[in-house]
Amino acid sequence: MALKIYIVGKDTIPSKVSLGAGEEMDIVFVALPGEDRSVAMDVELDAPGASAQIRGLYIATGSQKVDLTFNVRHNSGGCHSRQLVKGIASGSARASFYGKIYVAQDAQKTKAYQENHNILASEKARIDTKPQLEIYADDVECSHGATIGRLNQDEQFYMRSRGIPEAEARRLQMISFLAPVAGLLPQDLAEKVYESLSQCED
Amino acid sequence: MDKVLLKIENLHAGIAGKEILKGIDLTINEGEVHALMGPNGAGKSTLSAVLTGRPDFVVTEGSVTFRGKDLLAMSPEERAWEGLFLSFQYPIEIPGVSISNFMKSAINAKRKAAGLKDIAPGDYLRLLKEKMAMVKMKGEFAKRDVNVGFSGGEKKRNEIFQMAMLEPVLSILDETDSGLDVDALKIVSDGVEALRSPQTGFIVITHYPSLLESMKPDVVHVLKGGRIVCNGGMEVAEKVQSSGFESF
Repeated sequence: MALKIYIVGKDTIPSKVSLGAGEEMDIVFVALPGEDRSVAMDVELDAPGASAQIRGLYIATGSQKVDLTFNVRHNSGGCHSRQLVKGIASGSARASFYGKIYVAQDAQKTKAYQENHNILASEKARIDTKPQLEIYADDVECSHGATIGRLNQDEQFYMRSRGIPEAEARRLQMISFLAPVAGLLPQDLAEKVYESLSQCED
Repeated sequence: MDKVLLKIENLHAGIAGKEILKGIDLTINEGEVHALMGPNGAGKSTLSAVLTGRPDFVVTEGSVTFRGKDLLAMSPEERAWEGLFLSFQYPIEIPGVSISNFMKSAINAKRKAAGLKDIAPGDYLRLLKEKMAMVKMKGEFAKRDVNVGFSGGEKKRNEIFQMAMLEPVLSILDETDSGLDVDALKIVSDGVEALRSPQTGFIVITHYPSLLESMKPDVVHVLKGGRIVCNGGMEVAEKVQSSGFESF
């Protein structure tokens, strides 16, 4: 199935999705600086072969708030879900990620993965991440990972030693961090994402 | 008289309150290749970190003058613009940023600091091709993300390529642990040979004399316990080869 791209605040992201046998969903969302952004999705995987892939990025600046909530329910066995969300909070922005994977008792042979990686680009920004696994079946392959970090000093020094000024080095680091998601976007939108990084303040 | 590139006087420096360099004196003139040898913990990497301005390292005493300017007062990027280059022992991976774009950012930053406009795309492409040929790099290389998935030899070649692109006046090559990799050593010595000129200087940090046999340094220094304990020619490297650092 074709990749669907949503710009948060402009496009309407479906809040409830139910997928039947062999049905697939593959979406990428982009939350840019500006107004507060929120995404809340419930995804039900109801029959074998259903698959959901949710990927997205956010860039939060100023006093912006970004709230992301994903509830993925494996009601049937033999379904596949994957989430990858990457984001940067700068200025005094606040971002939160709540992601739950539920696997019902009968949902054997489930494959479910979730990753949420975040960068705190300033002292005042705040990020909360709550990855949750609720698994009742025993023959499943599930993993989740969540990180909140700062821009890597060794990377920064490597770039600065080549003559790239600190601010530009930070921007390149952010591009590098977001690339796994931004690389999925059409070029004009990816460029818009990268340009908006200049709004990130320490 | 030889023109002085770098003058280090009574340099004391360390990290986290611990003094590692305990009074270094070293002068490098244009056209010279210096080798810095020494056992583990002697302060070799600290010296390259202090010279290139790595944060966390603190200079407590002494001075460093580079091309007549106070090097220690400059930011890492200003040192690069002035013509200082460090080839990293462990180059950093930057996913999502191509070598070509990375170098373009670096070159344009240097041009901007000198009051010049961005390099024209055609000129940049020509420069890229010329330098890639110089370090025997294949065409696709510059499109790859910086160091991502590179072998040890490819990372080394990429460092030497960046050195060629930036045309530094003084290059520091930190080869402390690469002495056992024959291919990597050849890449480094070929790179130095290609860029050696009457105007440029090199500091090669190593504790493997084999690298120096191909590079033929003008001066060999032995660093031990945060001090330079011996200055000389290739005979010093030969002494290290035959009897180790114990005798210094």
